Amino acid sequence: MAITINGTEVPLPEDPRMSLAEFLRDGLHLTGTKIGCNQGGCGACTVLIDGQRVLSCLTLAVQAEGREVTTIEGLSSGDDLHPLQEAFIAHDGFQCGYCTPGQICAATAMLRELAEGMPSSVTGDLSRPAPLTAEEIRERMSGNLCRCGAHNGIIAAILQVAQEGAA
Amino acid sequence: MSRVQNTLIESVRKVVGWVPERWLPGGTPDPLIGRHGAVGTQLAQLDGPQKVRGAARFAAEVPLEGLCYAALVNSPVTRGRITRLDTAAAEAAPGVLLVLTYRNMPRLGLVPLMGVTNLGAVGNSALPILQDDQIRYNGQVMALVLAETQQQADHAARLIDLSVDTAPALSDFQAAKPEARTPASILVERNEQSAGDAEAALRQAAFSTDATYTTPGHNHAAIELHGVTAHWTGNRLVLHDATQAVAPTAAALAKLFGLRREDVRVLSPFVGGGFGAKGFWDHQVLAVAAARMVDRPVRLMLSREAVFRMVGGRSPTEQRVAIGADAEGRFTALIHTGYSVMPPYSASPEQYTLGTRSLYRAQSYRFGQKHLDLDIVPNTFMRAPGESVGSFAVESAVDELAHAMDIDPVELRLRNEPETHPLTGTPFSQRALATAWRQGADRFGWDARSTMPRARRDGEWLLGMGCAAGNFPYVRMPSGALRIRLTRDGQATLSTSAQDMGMGTATVQTQHAADRLGLPLDAITFEMGDSDLPAAPVAGGSSQTVSIAAAIAAAASKLTVELLRLAGNASPLAGLRAGEVRLAEGGLVCIEDPTRRETYGDILTRAGRDEISVTETGAPPLEIFKYAMLSHSANFCEVRVSDVTGELRVTRLLGVFDVGTILNPRMAVSQLRGGMIMGLGMALSEEVLFDERSGRIMNPGLADYHIPAHLDVPEIDVTWTGIPDPRSPLGARGIGEIGITGVAAAIANAVFNATGKRLRDLPLTLDRLIGAEGA
Amino acid sequence: MTDFLRPATVEDALALMAAGGVVPLAGGTDLYPATQRRALPGLVLDVTGLPGLCGITTGPAGLRIGAATTWTALARATLPPALAALQQAAVEVGGIQIQNAGTIGGNLCNASPAADGVPPLLVLDTEVELVGHRGIRRLPLSQFLTGPRQTARQADELLTALHIPASALSGQSHFRKLGARAYLVISIAMVAVRLDLQAGRISHAALAVGACSATACRLPQVESALTGAPAAEAPALIRDADVAAALSPLDDLRATAAYRSGAAAELLRRSVATLCQPVPA
Repeated sequence: MAITINGTEVPLPEDPRMSLAEFLRDGLHLTGTKIGCNQGGCGACTVLIDGQRVLSCLTLAVQAEGREVTTIEGLSSGDDLHPLQEAFIAHDGFQCGYCTPGQICAATAMLRELAEGMPSSVTGDLSRPAPLTAEEIRERMSGNLCRCGAHNGIIAAILQVAQEGAA
Repeated sequence: MSRVQNTLIESVRKVVGWVPERWLPGGTPDPLIGRHGAVGTQLAQLDGPQKVRGAARFAAEVPLEGLCYAALVNSPVTRGRITRLDTAAAEAAPGVLLVLTYRNMPRLGLVPLMGVTNLGAVGNSALPILQDDQIRYNGQVMALVLAETQQQADHAARLIDLSVDTAPALSDFQAAKPEARTPASILVERNEQSAGDAEAALRQAAFSTDATYTTPGHNHAAIELHGVTAHWTGNRLVLHDATQAVAPTAAALAKLFGLRREDVRVLSPFVGGGFGAKGFWDHQVLAVAAARMVDRPVRLMLSREAVFRMVGGRSPTEQRVAIGADAEGRFTALIHTGYSVMPPYSASPEQYTLGTRSLYRAQSYRFGQKHLDLDIVPNTFMRAPGESVGSFAVESAVDELAHAMDIDPVELRLRNEPETHPLTGTPFSQRALATAWRQGADRFGWDARSTMPRARRDGEWLLGMGCAAGNFPYVRMPSGALRIRLTRDGQATLSTSAQDMGMGTATVQTQHAADRLGLPLDAITFEMGDSDLPAAPVAGGSSQTVSIAAAIAAAASKLTVELLRLAGNASPLAGLRAGEVRLAEGGLVCIEDPTRRETYGDILTRAGRDEISVTETGAPPLEIFKYAMLSHSANFCEVRVSDVTGELRVTRLLGVFDVGTILNPRMAVSQLRGGMIMGLGMALSEEVLFDERSGRIMNPGLADYHIPAHLDVPEIDVTWTGIPDPRSPLGARGIGEIGITGVAAAIANAVFNATGKRLRDLPLTLDRLIGAEGA
Repeated sequence: MTDFLRPATVEDALALMAAGGVVPLAGGTDLYPATQRRALPGLVLDVTGLPGLCGITTGPAGLRIGAATTWTALARATLPPALAALQQAAVEVGGIQIQNAGTIGGNLCNASPAADGVPPLLVLDTEVELVGHRGIRRLPLSQFLTGPRQTARQADELLTALHIPASALSGQSHFRKLGARAYLVISIAMVAVRLDLQAGRISHAALAVGACSATACRLPQVESALTGAPAAEAPALIRDADVAAALSPLDDLRATAAYRSGAAAELLRRSVATLCQPVPA
């Protein structure tokens, strides 16, 4: 009866009504995972479960039993930032910083989805690997809202990391 | 009050007009203007690493021992009286600590409304908070439930049994028009102003346009929900808040709860987006009261729905703009009037006609706004209140006239550039809108635009270009205080209670302080977001950068005097006065003879001091009465519109900004772009859907209130004239709001150019595009 | 406080549901927003642990899709071209985080008039499999959806699978939707079309429209107009009036009724045209 969070096993919360987002924030003080709507509408609460991006506000903590959860706190180690975190700073991919952890977690999974050839709705031909374009990244990141208007910087940051990864 | 205010402000203008320039702030241009130092460099946001790691701690994230959680019950009806409020089941539910209703809420006074005559006030609503059984708007708080966990509180909130005797409510915009009020003033301006007989001039004009434009309600939709963590220790209160008004919130809470100001501490180091919404609302008061009653720390984070219902947004508007012109395109009449909602308990007049008043020269004018008293959650200031929606109306109208006259819309605007403020004759401190137009037309490739609508096509897609101006006033707040503490090791800490929501305030002021004090960037620490620090006013009106800059300049002057006093006769600086030295290279340097110099460390060491500390307030912002001080923008847009489905895609957007000195180009681009993207949302999709029969908002969530998503946002081009304002600190003007102005009009004008369809109602949805009549 | 149950067998699930007051939970992507609250109502039964509810299997009778199959799993699966519309719908359901959690069965049970999965399943003559303690029953999808947010599922029944008959696995299909912004969250109109082409003529046509009536529906009149028609002429045979007659479009927050039915007709023409394009050799 445990979840692995950023490599550490933690016991499930007692109250099964607790969402994963609330469990992370209130139960474990991992407040890098944000709550922006609690309705699956903004993407701020994005975390990775077994490598897949999900909305932690729509997931009960108990549903993650036996699975591996990675949050923004688990992406960097010590002072070393994840390449996406570095790129977000370099491209001014945020202002207030509230949607940022969700954007970065989503982008982490998105880069893998791209690499695995998963199509999106702007990929013209679903049977071929998606091209690495700003438009593809915009579509794939559209579940993560930003209100400060850092969109251009976010896409530029992800594109840079994607291109470096592809090179 | 308003009439007295009009007289008062007009007298100040008159007197300041007589005062010689050099006696006023900005009379002598800031010596840092044009200096190439840390200001103007591309420093990245200093708190970036914290933000990308998720380590920036927001208000609803502060861990405290014994924390309990609150949930709210909101009114489902608009007007009425509570007839039954049974809380027994909720109180008996597991984990519940308290159910707070009007029956057991401490009796509290009203929160003073913020306003130009009460700058320290922060109230957005003058309605009582849980004080009686009356329901005054849909979504008003009926009860707060406090429990050991959020889940228990949410569950118990559903067990509250509420019955209401409903009463008739005013919620229909059109029905309220006959009863509209005409306020005497709109912020610092006299409301109704005219010159000549504009209606007669309009009738006689060789060319004219006269149309009504509407904009719906908008929601700030900051991604961070409003949240607080309130904590009492005896008679001392600490509130972790997400607020744009740190010190004013502390002052308001002290007054409301009968505390000494120094016994209230408000902390707000990070705010997850504000745009005007992160102010003082009912939730802070509720959390503070509840925390006191249970004597435990309380967390209250509003649901997204509650943010829509309890925190007002931008009012809807209905605006008339009429322009008359002679055969050469010179304006003979300019009329901008209209209606917006502003119940008497709200603070925000949505000043949509103010921008128009200085935008164009005309032979006659008429301006005025009317307020409708609807029973709604009090509306409030939202990014470029007034100018954002006002520019849609006036800049659409100019485009309509340009089309009617077959004149290029940029050219028509250039022909009507004013030399001085059109109404008052006051000189502009700096205005290069014409430069921005020319620069932008060139950069955008404006000459590729077809003057005839529907002329450019790519398959089913019609292509069009449009442009529009925007403007926003320069505001510098009085009474912003700041402390500089300089230590013997040459480190300076600057402290003010002001707020950084990601605009980059701390970063830019660190750059500024480095230049002002002659220190390297890494010797500067900038502290903010804490009401225990010297009090700064609200972060709003694009005023914060220049307000803090003025306070730093004032504090640096005071520091100079103090350092010279400490230096004494043994110093190489002995005998010099403040005006004869400057702060440079880590110390004081004689201007006439730069060999006479001494470092801060040496001065402090000789004086036997570890540090020196000064606190000062920026000079009163009298420059705004002496000069017409505004920022301007020239927006260019290219769209594609499907001739079949009406789908609209903005493919290119350029903003050229005339906003004074750019203090940090990297962050300025982000701020200006951010504003433009909010303008894009306003044009394309943002609309608070309000049920006029029930008075209820129908789309209180981010799945239904559509802010731009990544796929909606093209790469946006931003540039500027880069001309400093000689009358402002650092030559800068605020840039937080100008970005949104003019964007919706530029897009609507591009849509007209593409399709020949003139849409005068926002947002520009696809069914409107297909349904609309062609020109 | 046992508000959450995650049974390991369908039998256990049914036993729990027989007691009443149980809300089945799959991806949670509709359930949470619908409650408008942070806490879920009553007893929640997580069906994602049940065997047989996830995954796609084929047999002689046709194709079976487990009700708890996620959109992502659907999009990534290798499926016959007749299911292309369903796969296209799968990559347009909200953001990818939603696609990773949301399930096809949940989409049907919540029965939004704008549910993305419904039109593609309607053109596949889909039947739903409901299991209750009285046994298993199958219903055509069109009978399962009884109104906005209403289905024929009894409170003690579980939607376990969708069955697509072998007869409907022929031909090619296409899905399109239209929304208020480039990035579509909730659509104004959506269509799915499945066509069998033989020697340049349409031998079988299945067309469905969503978001334009209380529940998504097929358009039999338009389908018969297309049957037998030469592919090149097919799009022109879809007349606005026929489409409007088959729908009762909603005049709501997102668009006017007239715009909706016009848009639906246009989307149908486009999808038919896409499917009728000669495939480059």
